Amino acid sequence: MTTMTTPIQQERFFEKQTRFTSKSFMVQVVFLIVLIMVPLVPSFKFVDMVAKILIYILFVASYDLILGYTGILSLAHGMFFGIGAYSLALPIYHTSSGPHYYHFFIAIIIAGMLSFILSLLLAAFSLRVQAIFFALVSLCLAEFFLILGDQWRELTLGEDGVSFMMPGIFESRTMTYYMILVVVVFLFLVLVRFTLSPLGRVLKGIRDNEERVIAMGYKSLRYKIYPIVLGSIFASISGILFAAWLRFVDPLTVLGIDTMLFCLLMVIIGGLGTMYGSIVGVIIIYLAQTWLPNILKAIASVLPNHPLIIGLTERWMLYFGILFILIMIYFPKGVIGTIQAKQRDKKLAAMKQ
Amino acid sequence: MAAVDIAEQQGTDIKKWAGWIVGIGIWFLPLFGMDFNTYMVLTIAGLSMGMLMFLTASGFSLIFGLMDVLNLAHGAFFAFGAYASYVLLNKFNAYGLVEGAGLLSSIGIFILALIASVILGLIIGLVLEKIIIRRVYGDHLKQILITMGSNMVMLQILILIWGPNEDFVPIPGAFDGSFMLGDIVVSKFRVVAIIVGLIVLAAIQWVMTKTKLGIIVRAGVENPETVQTIGYNINRIFTGVFIVGAALAAIGGSMFTMYKMTVYPHCGDEYMIFALIVVIIGGLGSITGCFYGALMVGLAFNYVAFLAPQLALGTNIAIMLIVLLIKPKGLMGR
Repeated sequence: MTTMTTPIQQERFFEKQTRFTSKSFMVQVVFLIVLIMVPLVPSFKFVDMVAKILIYILFVASYDLILGYTGILSLAHGMFFGIGAYSLALPIYHTSSGPHYYHFFIAIIIAGMLSFILSLLLAAFSLRVQAIFFALVSLCLAEFFLILGDQWRELTLGEDGVSFMMPGIFESRTMTYYMILVVVVFLFLVLVRFTLSPLGRVLKGIRDNEERVIAMGYKSLRYKIYPIVLGSIFASISGILFAAWLRFVDPLTVLGIDTMLFCLLMVIIGGLGTMYGSIVGVIIIYLAQTWLPNILKAIASVLPNHPLIIGLTERWMLYFGILFILIMIYFPKGVIGTIQAKQRDKKLAAMKQ
Repeated sequence: MAAVDIAEQQGTDIKKWAGWIVGIGIWFLPLFGMDFNTYMVLTIAGLSMGMLMFLTASGFSLIFGLMDVLNLAHGAFFAFGAYASYVLLNKFNAYGLVEGAGLLSSIGIFILALIASVILGLIIGLVLEKIIIRRVYGDHLKQILITMGSNMVMLQILILIWGPNEDFVPIPGAFDGSFMLGDIVVSKFRVVAIIVGLIVLAAIQWVMTKTKLGIIVRAGVENPETVQTIGYNINRIFTGVFIVGAALAAIGGSMFTMYKMTVYPHCGDEYMIFALIVVIIGGLGSITGCFYGALMVGLAFNYVAFLAPQLALGTNIAIMLIVLLIKPKGLMGR
């Protein structure tokens, strides 16, 4: 122990030594094995659910990078998701000789370039004034793209949506599932690694105290643009995966404002600024979203047949909105955030004794 | 020293005037692509559309400028205002008082419809402010999220009450149709929209600059503690500002339904985006900027829709980006 002097360095050294024996690593390995085994389950519904949850995890985690780690509210994240989905669907649909493997390549290039340019422009235009300006401008841009997807019928077929075939071995759902699994796990680890890097620490600094970060000599505008661009590109990749799984794309599901609202809800319920929180958030909200309408239907069948009760039980989005508000007021840290805060308190109490 | 000052003064003056001349002159450019009558028709359409957008956007801008609250539930107020006048007009139409009405009773019914939507806007604004907005003063991020949630809830309540479908709205008889001004066809309701927009602009400016209430509100924004020590209840003032903003959105909604003669639950979300674009162009929190922004968007949309229909969708976004490129804070942003 000649050079290990500061507590942070000691902590890192300890972490390096115990990396492959620690409990959390074991949990991750078990989790991964379970995910690899999923296609063995004969029910398609279950595989479908897991695949969608995986895709949303990438989508929400990339959003957490922007909102949770940097503290910038982007309302165009759903737009990038939609750009990704359409950049896979449209080239396949408009190629007369059917789907080919190179379409994935095209999709990644189109989605990557478009989301890179758009997010860069968006950030450069609006972050110069106020971080909050970004939210409004991005909302306008997202709405514009929704209208574009709706009305540019020659290209996107409007609200009828585009359905298409997948090339070669990805014709089978199992192969598509494994592709999704590999891409999501890899990119999720990239995101986790990114937040632990020195750059990620600067971003946290910007979120907590921007003036101080500027005073330390970092150009905060530039550092705010990095996560926005990276997060947007990752969102468009998750959009490509979504299109590859569904084989059908329509404006409302991928570009609509509801996608964005669910993404927000997932990030917040999992905990802002905690990468693993996005996993928890996605699972909770996705399950609630699938089961809530059924539960409401069950409740409606018990109660008397009054139009008001039928209306109240049909509108499940109403309860989501109320849930959203209640969480924002009473539970703003989210699941993982609350657990982390409790652990920190315990550590502090132990240090004081 | 003095000479330099004067020279500098003249320099900024010239810049200012050049800005005005370019800003106004650009609106005569479309004349090269069309004849004069079409130009006038489009200009009137653009002005009325701009006024309607101004009505919606001014509430948003007022709430942000005075309270520093970003209210993305504005679309819901808009929709509730629209439905309030829809219900009232439908009720009166059953007695044959709307579609076949003469000039005086038309004006009366029109004002009643506006009042109905204002009252509904005031009530909903009051409830929302007391229950939710009050908790998130000073935190923009939470404001945006929580008002988006409220927007969702209010929209669902609206659908619960009036159903998800599009409905026809009858408009007062005297405002229906159009008249000729020389060779130019002028739709009557467009003139009404322009008049209402100008009245609202004048009223806001008058209250904010000339009355004691306006002075108290502006002082409360600058320095809440001092205003409170003098003996004014600052919370009540802020609540008042918020519900006035909500009522303005409701007026906007009411005017828009009568303009389009249809009403549907998602209209609020659609026009809120227009309002946001207008507010961003004009500069957050500035009422006059909001006015210019609304006129710009309305005029440009109409000209472009005539000259190059396939580009019309992108006009608003293009104007927004150009303005942000030249003035990052918007036209009149502080």
